Amino acid sequence: MKQRFLKHVFSVLCFSVLAIGMANAQGGKISGKVIDAGNGEGLIGVNVVEVGTSNGTVTDLDGSYTITVGANATLSFSFTGYATQNVVVGNSTTVNISLAFEQQALSEVVVVGYGTQKKKEITSAVTSLKSEDFNRGTVNDPAQLLQGKVAGLSVVRPGGDPNGGFQIRLRGVSTVGANAEPLVVIDGVIGGSLSTVDPNDIASIDVLKDGSAAAIYGTRGSSGVILITTKTGKSGRVTADYNGSVGMESLARKIPVMTADEFRKVPGAPNLGATTDWLDLVTNTSYSQVHNLSLGGGVNNTTFRTSLNLRDANGIGINSGFNQLNGRINLTQLAFNDKATFTVNVSSTTREATYGDANSFRYAVIANPTMPVYDNTTTSPTAGGRFGGYAQRDIFDFFNPLAIAEQNIHDGKDTRLLTSVRGDYSLSDDLRVGVFYSSQWESDFRADYSPKNSKFGGGFGRKGLATKQTNERYNELLEATVNYNKSIGASSNVTLLGGYSYQDFVYEGSYMQGGNFLTDAFTYNNMGAALDFANGLGSVGSYKNSNRLVAFFGRANLNIDGTYYVSASARYEGSSRFGANNKWGLFPAVSAGVTLSNLFELPGVNSLKLRGSWGITGNQPNSSYASLQRFGRQGNFFIDGAYVPTYGPVSNANPDLAWETKNEIDFGLDFAMLDNRLTGTIDYYSRTTKDLILLVDVPVPPNLFGQTLVNIGELSNTGLEAALNYNVVSKEKFSWTAGINLATFKTKVESLTSGDLSFGNGGVLFRAGMGSPGQNNTNLIRVKEGEELGQLWGPVQIGVNPNGTPQFKDLNGDGKFCDCDDDRTVVGQGLPTLTAGINNSFTFGNWDVNLFFRGAFGHELWNSYRGFYENLETTTVNNYNIVNTEYLDQKVTKAQVNSTHVEKGDFIKLDNATIGYKMNVKAGSGVRSLRFYLSAQNPFILTGYTGIDPEVRFTDSENGDPLSPGIERRSTYFTTRIFTLGANLGF
Amino acid sequence: MQNLFFKRILLVGFVLTMSIQSCTNLEEELYSDITADNFFKTDEEFIAALGQAYASFGGLGNHGNLWSMNEISSDELVITTKGGDWYDGGILINLHQHNFTSDNDFFNNAWGFLYGGINTANRLIFSFEKLGTPESKVFIAELRAVRALWYYWAMDAFGNVPLVVDFTAKEAPANATRAEVYNFILSELNAVIPVLPTSKDSKTYGRMTKWAALAIRSKLYLNSQVYINQAKWAEAAADAQEIIDKGPFSLQSVYSENFAIRNGGSSENIMVYAYDKVFAGGFNWPMMTLHYASQGVYSLADQPWNGYSVVEEFYNSYIDPAKNPGPQGNVWKGLATAPSTGTLDKRLSNFVVGPQFNPDGSRAQDPGVDAGDPDGTPLNFTPQINQIFPNAWRQGGARIGKYEYEIGGNANMSNDFVIFRLGDIILTLAEAEFRRGNTAKALVLVNQIRKRAGVDAFSSLTLDQIFEERGREMFAEMTRRQDQIRFGKWGGTWWEKPSTAAKTNQIIFPIPKPQLNSNAKLKQNPGYN
Repeated sequence: MKQRFLKHVFSVLCFSVLAIGMANAQGGKISGKVIDAGNGEGLIGVNVVEVGTSNGTVTDLDGSYTITVGANATLSFSFTGYATQNVVVGNSTTVNISLAFEQQALSEVVVVGYGTQKKKEITSAVTSLKSEDFNRGTVNDPAQLLQGKVAGLSVVRPGGDPNGGFQIRLRGVSTVGANAEPLVVIDGVIGGSLSTVDPNDIASIDVLKDGSAAAIYGTRGSSGVILITTKTGKSGRVTADYNGSVGMESLARKIPVMTADEFRKVPGAPNLGATTDWLDLVTNTSYSQVHNLSLGGGVNNTTFRTSLNLRDANGIGINSGFNQLNGRINLTQLAFNDKATFTVNVSSTTREATYGDANSFRYAVIANPTMPVYDNTTTSPTAGGRFGGYAQRDIFDFFNPLAIAEQNIHDGKDTRLLTSVRGDYSLSDDLRVGVFYSSQWESDFRADYSPKNSKFGGGFGRKGLATKQTNERYNELLEATVNYNKSIGASSNVTLLGGYSYQDFVYEGSYMQGGNFLTDAFTYNNMGAALDFANGLGSVGSYKNSNRLVAFFGRANLNIDGTYYVSASARYEGSSRFGANNKWGLFPAVSAGVTLSNLFELPGVNSLKLRGSWGITGNQPNSSYASLQRFGRQGNFFIDGAYVPTYGPVSNANPDLAWETKNEIDFGLDFAMLDNRLTGTIDYYSRTTKDLILLVDVPVPPNLFGQTLVNIGELSNTGLEAALNYNVVSKEKFSWTAGINLATFKTKVESLTSGDLSFGNGGVLFRAGMGSPGQNNTNLIRVKEGEELGQLWGPVQIGVNPNGTPQFKDLNGDGKFCDCDDDRTVVGQGLPTLTAGINNSFTFGNWDVNLFFRGAFGHELWNSYRGFYENLETTTVNNYNIVNTEYLDQKVTKAQVNSTHVEKGDFIKLDNATIGYKMNVKAGSGVRSLRFYLSAQNPFILTGYTGIDPEVRFTDSENGDPLSPGIERRSTYFTTRIFTLGANLGF
Repeated sequence: MQNLFFKRILLVGFVLTMSIQSCTNLEEELYSDITADNFFKTDEEFIAALGQAYASFGGLGNHGNLWSMNEISSDELVITTKGGDWYDGGILINLHQHNFTSDNDFFNNAWGFLYGGINTANRLIFSFEKLGTPESKVFIAELRAVRALWYYWAMDAFGNVPLVVDFTAKEAPANATRAEVYNFILSELNAVIPVLPTSKDSKTYGRMTKWAALAIRSKLYLNSQVYINQAKWAEAAADAQEIIDKGPFSLQSVYSENFAIRNGGSSENIMVYAYDKVFAGGFNWPMMTLHYASQGVYSLADQPWNGYSVVEEFYNSYIDPAKNPGPQGNVWKGLATAPSTGTLDKRLSNFVVGPQFNPDGSRAQDPGVDAGDPDGTPLNFTPQINQIFPNAWRQGGARIGKYEYEIGGNANMSNDFVIFRLGDIILTLAEAEFRRGNTAKALVLVNQIRKRAGVDAFSSLTLDQIFEERGREMFAEMTRRQDQIRFGKWGGTWWEKPSTAAKTNQIIFPIPKPQLNSNAKLKQNPGYN
């Protein structure tokens, strides 16, 4: 091996000598400056290479360079994201170049699993976003950067809870039993937590969409892969950047309910004498701020970037918000004559949150508007003397909304620490080995207290109720890779990758809850003071579990003449979570592409690539030990005058439990035309997910437990995705770029049965109960074999009966309406058929404007508020307020959820509008750049939906059920509108 | 230098390769979970296992389970639709009005409860058989009787239930006929009664004894006519007589003491499930029946749900002097806000009725009272209920008061749930004797019960009177449906319940749909889908 290595060294040396030998005496020292064509700033780190030689340099901090070249030299200037330029030096000694930013350039580097590829070499569906493409304004979660930007990637967070998480779905719903969220890989850390990264530190996000691209991540790639690359330092002078913003957030949409005056006119409505706007009381205008300071640079062999991010976010709900401090250090060190690279990344986050209580919104909607806010008496119908002076009513399912928000404490503290270290060594020009280790530690601490006089939250009944819990997640990853890269001839090359991966996960936590305090003074800080523990009424618990993934993987990429590209990969992976007989799975993928524009003369077309791919990915169960027969605590047994604990089965063994697999094909077209002004990508995919991992009812006996986790059923998705970008105007003083992305979705439940087993009743399931009051056992969703996922299910209202009950259609034609599934039907579809994102960017001199619209179409939503409270039922009128949309029919006096409570969820909203101004900076002022901007998020929305948020609901928010999309539940946080003023300062 | 470096690289590679080999192990490590591999190793763990056979009874006091299914389909209880509350897809009204459909969740809940118990018993019998110690033989007899009790309930409710006795069976079972299940229960009881413990002490409290097993057998015989179309009155009488004569039980002098919070000392209770608000939760009656504002009345930690009410005519069977002669005094009747005159049966402790007061003496208030309810906001449980659907008054109907509610209690009661007691056995004997023609003996027995209730003795006896006395005595003890069927009243009419006399198949409930779907060998009971 050493000899071959030396041979390579020799050949390089020989080549250089040859090159020098050929050099003409006319050659000499050339210098110059490379600037950005867009803003005239010097570009740092541009590669300047004498074409045909290995002679090269990079530009310095000002964009200046010096290089000694031979005669007749041609210099090539290349920089990521910019169009490469070749300049014949001729006789000049100074060559100044302005590089133009290349829109969607095909030369762009795309991060793929375990490496990078040029975009032109990509043969599978991958979308790459750079930081300039990200969403703007107040963005506290990295997922939000992507919202609406990638065709087929849905990022949703119904409502505006600052502590609410985003749901991410790629190409619709591909699994209903295992993890449906894409795998996140942060700088190589598989399964990285988005909460370890501050949005300000992200350089690019790459989304691996099809099975072929994701297969290298085998086991967890089924729901797509999101690769996050954080910013790193660049060689040269140390630069500092400060980004700061302040945001103002206010209520955008709410449920229309009767005002006090309207309510008083309703026959029989109890007038409690006051006029209260509850929705106004429980919301306020809130202010947030974000500060980001980063230092980056490099000297000699070391480059670094370090940053500090401070976020103070406040929601519109009382006491909802968080303070977050994130620090990051990314360090790269070259060693052994640049043959070795060491990279260390450390990121730490602490977040202190107060969660408020979205139930204050729910009860604000339904609170009687004539009820006073406060009532310190003990005898009136709204007596609040026992409840801290907040007016209360002794009725079912009602609590003073303001009291909920102000009395109850919901605190949290999240800590994240992500550390990774990577070492790479080039054994030869072609062969490089690497070792990677990472450790991710996440700790969530939650504490709640409901005081003695709080009717909501258990405080009143329990004489003060405190809860404290911690959940910790820890994982370690060790990987080793070998890369081989060999050029064949002038423009062909082969790349091989092999590797091993080992990842170990541990989860543990504890929980305690106790009540009966002498005083509220301790809140949750002195659990021992809760008399419940002495009386045996407190509850305490803890758990710990672990799992492990081991994999071997390999990939081969072949580039033939820069025209034909072929890629094949496989990952052989085992998970401890599977049954003894089926721990391991193989996940292969093949893809190929051809650059048609290299083969044919296509008028007006600059490049056209056709590609196709096939790949298998997998998914594992959401919990450990799922294949084992386990026993659990099952209450106590009274024997000999005392209770002893008893244990019984809590699961059945299934040694055959195996991988859920997804088989996906994808055909795509990448093109650039009209002088590269119009670029685009079109993809069609078809995927089938088999052996879904679902908990199925099994007969007891012979089974010990009534449900077993098995592989059963099949789901299919098809869709078309298109992304277009058009550089409409590109003048020095004015430019306009327009972009659009569209995606269609179709998700079908192919099967829910396997042999004797069936998930649901003969391939049909009814799910998602409407709930209390009075509508338990009323299912809102049907799942049926052979039909699309997301069927909203209910009776069809055709009128109103004389007694005020809704009149329903007799669907089965037996002459009478039966309140049963015979007379219910599909009344809507909960998943969208089309999503779109539309972007327009303008620059006028120093001004820049960006408008981003986002929409989803074809989905419907159950409007729960209307289903419960939009009627004149005596219970509603007596106890609650009346939802008062255009649909209110005063003749209806019975709350019975039905087809009229399903509404179209189609919407298009201006997600973000930003206007920025870049100051002209004088040379030598010490300031590198300065820009101010004003951003509006969600300033308006076009929709016919009357509920809180027409956003897609992929799961039932009450229990996370992925089979029950399309329901807006009552505790949804209201939507908000944010105005942000910010500055970006570089020096 | 370079040589050395390469050696190092090789060394690192070697170490890495070794660690790779040791790191393809995918065995799961357990921490807070247990499997058969790391459990059932000590005596304590076996006792804990036996306890599971009893812990399974914890569903008796839940809403929506076996008890609810039997009770709200009888003429004792009803869950009305109170405007927007308690409609729940119509399944509650369907139960009351005998529109039994196999997709009603109550049936499946009850089935899961019953077979959970049966399966646990099967598993434990299997484990103890493997153990083979003398102690385990005693446990096995006990467990077989427990299993017989589960099957008695299952056969009583669903008739043709599958008979599964072998824990190791891997095949999903088909239905057995009702007679087959009946015979199985009988033969099991016959086998174990001679060896079951006979003492009444702390060791046997809350567990299966010879007396409880005799009680099951006696009731099995009592309903023999229904179950296998063959009367066995003499056998029913013999078992009941043995319990009365030889069992260590006597009537508790005060009826309500059998249901007190601390009812462990009752001299009458034969078998109980020992609930406890700390150790054995699930007895949720205060939640299920009391009004929202009753939270203040009883200083409860949780707000009740205002569900179950007593059917008015059933309540009236206590206070009606014609049907239930006895001392007259102030009772609550109809929609009255003031008391009127009626029979003062001591068993009226079975109900919470009339005006409700907070501990400080103030009247409990119901600000959400229905507009038409004449009581207005002061909380008053009137025996009369205006309608079953859609706008039943939220204060309508007497409430279940059978078990004493703890002031300052929570959703879980500490009273022990009575499964069998002597009062029931005495009436069982009375009925069996009456049906055998021993009217005089029956009259003495019935009057024994009436005397304890503080009402007048009957001078003569009819079958209907026995039925009504059973009703008054056994309210909410999960015997009413069985009694109504045995006395031929099940298809009859009562409040908001039309006649279903033609639907004779309905003396058993349908096999729950989810069970049929998960087990292709199961066949639906006749007349159901």
